[in-house]
Amino acid sequence: MNAPFPSPARAPMTAAEKVLAAASGVLSVRPGDVVSPDPELVIIHDGYVESAYNELSQLGYKRIWRPERVVFVTDHEVAYASPASALRGTRIRRIAREWGITQFYDAGRGGHGHLFPLEQGLVRPGMFLSCYDMHCTNFGAVGALAVAAGAEIVSVLATGSVWEQVPHTVRILLEGQQGAGVMARDVGFHLSTLFAAGKLPAAHDNRIIEFSGDYVERLPLAGRVALCNSLTEIGVANVWFTPTASDLGKGGIGVTGDADAHYEATLHVDISHLVPQVALPGGPQFGVDVDEVAGTHVDHAYLGACGSGMYEDFASAAAVLRDRAVARHVRFFVVPGTVATAQRLANDGLLQVFQAAGAIVLPPGCGPCAGGVMGPLADGETSISTAATNHAGRFGSKTAQAYLGSPVTVAASAIAGCIADSRSLTLSPKGAR
Amino acid sequence: MTARLLRRGRCHVFGDDIPLDEGLIPFDMAIRRIDDPSILVPELFRQIDPAFHDRVRPGDIIVAGRNFCCGKPHLQGFIAMASLGLSVVCTSMPYKAMRGAVAKGVAVMTGVDIQAFPFKTGDDVEVDYTDGTVRNVSQAVSLTGEALSATLTDIVAEGGTRGQLRTWLRDHPIMSTELPRPD
Repeated sequence: MNAPFPSPARAPMTAAEKVLAAASGVLSVRPGDVVSPDPELVIIHDGYVESAYNELSQLGYKRIWRPERVVFVTDHEVAYASPASALRGTRIRRIAREWGITQFYDAGRGGHGHLFPLEQGLVRPGMFLSCYDMHCTNFGAVGALAVAAGAEIVSVLATGSVWEQVPHTVRILLEGQQGAGVMARDVGFHLSTLFAAGKLPAAHDNRIIEFSGDYVERLPLAGRVALCNSLTEIGVANVWFTPTASDLGKGGIGVTGDADAHYEATLHVDISHLVPQVALPGGPQFGVDVDEVAGTHVDHAYLGACGSGMYEDFASAAAVLRDRAVARHVRFFVVPGTVATAQRLANDGLLQVFQAAGAIVLPPGCGPCAGGVMGPLADGETSISTAATNHAGRFGSKTAQAYLGSPVTVAASAIAGCIADSRSLTLSPKGAR
Repeated sequence: MTARLLRRGRCHVFGDDIPLDEGLIPFDMAIRRIDDPSILVPELFRQIDPAFHDRVRPGDIIVAGRNFCCGKPHLQGFIAMASLGLSVVCTSMPYKAMRGAVAKGVAVMTGVDIQAFPFKTGDDVEVDYTDGTVRNVSQAVSLTGEALSATLTDIVAEGGTRGQLRTWLRDHPIMSTELPRPD
């Protein structure tokens, strides 16, 4: 880190506030403060490298600040679908050389930029990062704080930093045992829906959501990532989990909040009675019980993306798919989040489960979620997927309907050919093809 | 460091929950990634206030209620506002929208309870973004809001992110030279 973590005696802070203070070189911060934190890593994906380069070039910049801290990731368009895309890849590689980028995870080298850094220990507990893409909040799953700069990433590239206003923190204690067929993604849809509908007694806009509670203590990393992912879509600033011993095994610093830290609100949410959720077209904040939409015809299904692209997500879906077949009218795309996950699925025989069922396995990365550059939807078609979000046009066509579900709900729906509850899947093996 | 950020102009009053897409400016402008102010300016508020374009003058002030510019924080509306030198006074604004406005050089003051006093479109309004005061000159009434921090004041005064980056380049001329090529 750039400075030692502040002494708790100086000012009580939450864990995320401590990371922000340390990165900003100040002893303490409080909500509302404007700081200029110094990121250990800056991550930018292939969808914005050229735009950033063009903007800085127009201003007269010919180099960037601390290129050794900048990571380029190719995950939005991995397998170029056109000569124009391939040409863009060429230009990105030229920019990487020109700017002296040494950490370049090009196509086939890492996978999804919100996932492989977690697996590889590139992102470690206690780090502060600045990234282009909003779903860098995934890194909160291991107690790292990554702020999405969006288009302002050019300021970070040019000067090394960009201002941040310290957000308030809302603490959510998730309690209870999840029911059958329920995954962390369902909990994410449920919380997003409650927040967006104003049914939780706390604000969420630009808040850091800090999770704890007995449910969280049992969650694997993939589950924590899933919770980070859905809430990010409704406008929270960040999501924070205390790192586990496993997370710390890859290095880093386990930062915890002070006992007397200030939280804007503390909420208790019992998930014991939650049933599988499906997010209606429009966003993860439109969650409903799966029963409300069960039977809706689907043409397209997709498993992967930054909220459900880890090994455990595919293993759960494979358990549903094993010895079953994807419905004949459904195109079912499976996109391992990372190269390492794809290799592990192959080694464990799970890729074979997907392929035997009739799924199409795409290269690691974002898959159709990146604007439908791979596996898009046609006008009038309907999809169910684990994508990050599902607003109109997300997978290509603006008139297609896109629903979201957990990995097991998506797998069950691909088999049934319509939105289905994995708990009530009654198709006989191979019965649907 | 900017001493004060003062703006004075005629105000245009809007209510609560004005969406950014299809409210501040058509969503189509964002989808088409248009950044030419000459195209964007006539579209500003067109869908909810068709007379706005004929009425607005450079330097005017937008007065709005809660949740101004809600929705996805696309930047096209703020490019148009910056081009006209418009400023914002509102009760609240989503953080990312506020951030987008400042990045384009638009001054924003939140925390102003516009329900407490009936602003009328056309009122002469003076805003001190540095100390958080709003004075309705026409009706001789003052309100308070949240002052813009010194950091954000400087960004707005320099014309947003691009202005700041020009200043940074001037102060760090090495950034305008290419990295040495490895042998």
